[in-house]
Amino acid sequence: MLFNSIEYIVFLPIAFGLYWLVFKSNLKAQNLLLVVLSYVFYGYWDWRFLTLIFLSTVVDFIIGKKIYTANKKSSKKWLWTSVLFNIGILGFFKYFNFFVDSFSKMLNIFGYDNQDNLTLNIILPVGISFYTFQTLSYSLDIYRKKLTPTHDFIAFAAFVSFFPQLVAGPIERASRLLPQILHKRSFSYTQAKDGMKLMLWGLFKKIAIADALAPIVDDIFVNYTQLSSPVLIMGAVFFGFQIYCDFSGYSDIAIGTSKMFGIELTSNFKFPYFSRNIAEFWRRWHISLSTWFRDYLYIPLGGSKGEKSNTIRNIFVIFLVSGFWHGANWTFIFWGGFHALLFVPLFLSNKNRVFIEGTVGGNSILPSIKEILQILSTFTLVTISWVFFRASSVNVAFEYLTKLFSSPNFEPYPHPLGYRWLDYFVLLGLFLCYEYFIRRDERNPIPFRSRAIRFLLYVLLVFGMLLMYDDHIDRSFIYFQF
Amino acid sequence: MKKLVIKSIVYFVSILVVLELLARVFHLHSEDPQRFIDPNEVEKRVPNSEGFAVTGNRNQNFSKFRINHSGFNSFREFNPSFSNTEIALIGDSFIEGFHEDYDKSIGKKIEEQLNNKTEVYEYGYAGYDLSNQLHLLQAYAEEFEKIDYIIIYLDYRTDLNRDTYTPDRERIQTLASPIFKIRDRFKIILYASRIGVLDPIQELIIKATPQKKAIESKWNHEENRDSLLLNNFKTLCSKYPINYTKTFFLIDGRKTPSSFLDYCNVNNIKYLDYGKIFKETDLPTTLIYDQHWNNHGRSLIAKLISDSLPTKD
Repeated sequence: MLFNSIEYIVFLPIAFGLYWLVFKSNLKAQNLLLVVLSYVFYGYWDWRFLTLIFLSTVVDFIIGKKIYTANKKSSKKWLWTSVLFNIGILGFFKYFNFFVDSFSKMLNIFGYDNQDNLTLNIILPVGISFYTFQTLSYSLDIYRKKLTPTHDFIAFAAFVSFFPQLVAGPIERASRLLPQILHKRSFSYTQAKDGMKLMLWGLFKKIAIADALAPIVDDIFVNYTQLSSPVLIMGAVFFGFQIYCDFSGYSDIAIGTSKMFGIELTSNFKFPYFSRNIAEFWRRWHISLSTWFRDYLYIPLGGSKGEKSNTIRNIFVIFLVSGFWHGANWTFIFWGGFHALLFVPLFLSNKNRVFIEGTVGGNSILPSIKEILQILSTFTLVTISWVFFRASSVNVAFEYLTKLFSSPNFEPYPHPLGYRWLDYFVLLGLFLCYEYFIRRDERNPIPFRSRAIRFLLYVLLVFGMLLMYDDHIDRSFIYFQF
Repeated sequence: MKKLVIKSIVYFVSILVVLELLARVFHLHSEDPQRFIDPNEVEKRVPNSEGFAVTGNRNQNFSKFRINHSGFNSFREFNPSFSNTEIALIGDSFIEGFHEDYDKSIGKKIEEQLNNKTEVYEYGYAGYDLSNQLHLLQAYAEEFEKIDYIIIYLDYRTDLNRDTYTPDRERIQTLASPIFKIRDRFKIILYASRIGVLDPIQELIIKATPQKKAIESKWNHEENRDSLLLNNFKTLCSKYPINYTKTFFLIDGRKTPSSFLDYCNVNNIKYLDYGKIFKETDLPTTLIYDQHWNNHGRSLIAKLISDSLPTKD
């Protein structure tokens, strides 16, 4: 079920009503309702893969308890069982064909002509990368004595399958989400209201910006060989906005929905395009994933302690793995590697932690010239990396970039659906200005005290969605494929 | 909880009211002049009205229409006479031309190409198929008797699905039903409906209508569709005799089966194939976000007609 679908518009009020009106007095019943709602939500897409979520839930619930009660040696074995099980599921559904195909190509290089097609027609279950990481963190936290296992299976099932963040995150830690599910929740008007505001903002980003840019980006990336540099630059920049508004829009709707059910999720985006260097960008982009890799991969590998060469290795490992997490394609690995190359110089010059606190512009109205230049240079590098992320293959990405730097003549490019260009530039300009205005708090996108201004903004957001709505496109979220 | 529900409803209604105002101020909605069935059982528009048709979101295609005294969108009134030269252009929405200003229509272009010595009457109505068109010829036989050339636009795939004419009272009734009246009264709903926001709701309703599905699937499994359509054509032509000396079918040869073209050739039924000229041109011939002909497409059609008729000086 998509957040931006008519089914969800019907689903949400029913779920909300049942949750707060019918089941509010009984926590167990409320949690059971959450599990049922989450399974309906997920099963609406493909009910067959519910068995996978259920299996993952049962296995990690049992293993979690085993890890906790076993001695150190056995507990490590149980941990490895959990890791192998979760990574095994992920590996089979997401990476099997990639590895077989790459292996086959490697054999060809060495002269073995493998005629048999070993790849399988595997459907990628939506959200598998997200919920496997979530359950994995449960086992890892218990092993590291940061969490005690729960004995409440229903609560654990609700934690694994919690529908707002089930298919595209934010990837929640058990230590943060599970206690909220285990404790009685009471309805808060302010929390629900804030949730609705976030949902509106997220829907605006998805419908008015990401979906509106999608056909342009698709057209440019398909026909890049015939287009000039300015158009290719526009294609890459538009994709940057498309993926940001698509994914952060999803996260906002997820966080907003969750607030309506009395549960707080982690922030996933903090205005990443106002980052002043790549290190800051990664503290603001897909936060739940980057912190996951930091805590469960980077730090266990040694983090930044010890030899610089080891740290550089660790940086490359987490960026490459992070890229590979996105999909079974070399383009994502190149994307991750490119970011590692951008990050390492910052680390070597001790500038990777200069923007840990505060936001661009501080308390002043406008950013300084220096900050503007820093933002522009970071945005340019990130935009170049998006070409790898969006291209169908590494070759295509390099061809795109080569063309981008070698065809400076401007040639008219009509909108693929016949719309006015001006609308898009005005929209993106206003969007950036507004995001800059609200840059201090990503969880409060409509911060005005005046009721009239808030109302005006609600109207403008809905009107913007209606103006930019396009029924010719696929409305699913980009991160569903990961 | 109660506060949240009440405030949500208040905000929802207030936002809708402001959106309604905005839709009216920016004229985002398309006007659809009222349809009716006249005493001759001909479906047409209620005469004498003007308005604007809008296609796409954000007023991408904004055009003025004018329903004349005869109930068709045209820049002129239809007053045929034996002394003047007239051309009748009959067809569906492609001829009705709500996607263009009425004074830039195909008819107007034909008249200009024929040095304004010929009058072109556009009998276009969205939804017309061949049975509608032939019934129109029969119902207004006296009028068409005076007209020198008759061009009938025929989309082979969609215009031959029936072999007899009955006025579509159901559609008129549906459009006059309370749901459609509400839709037409609230411009924001009309706009949302036009751009596809309400499509999922309509799809849900269609999904919940099994009877219609069954009919559709039966039609889709029809093996000899082309021959069935040709039979319908033959039946219609025998039921509504056509003056073949002055009648031309305007067809897209690329989308019309050769069996039909052969039948026309054998029986001296004249047709104008715009598929050839559309194929030859490098420029797009239809609107990008709409299947209808754009200005270039209309110019090509007008040229084809004016070049093909012996009235040109």
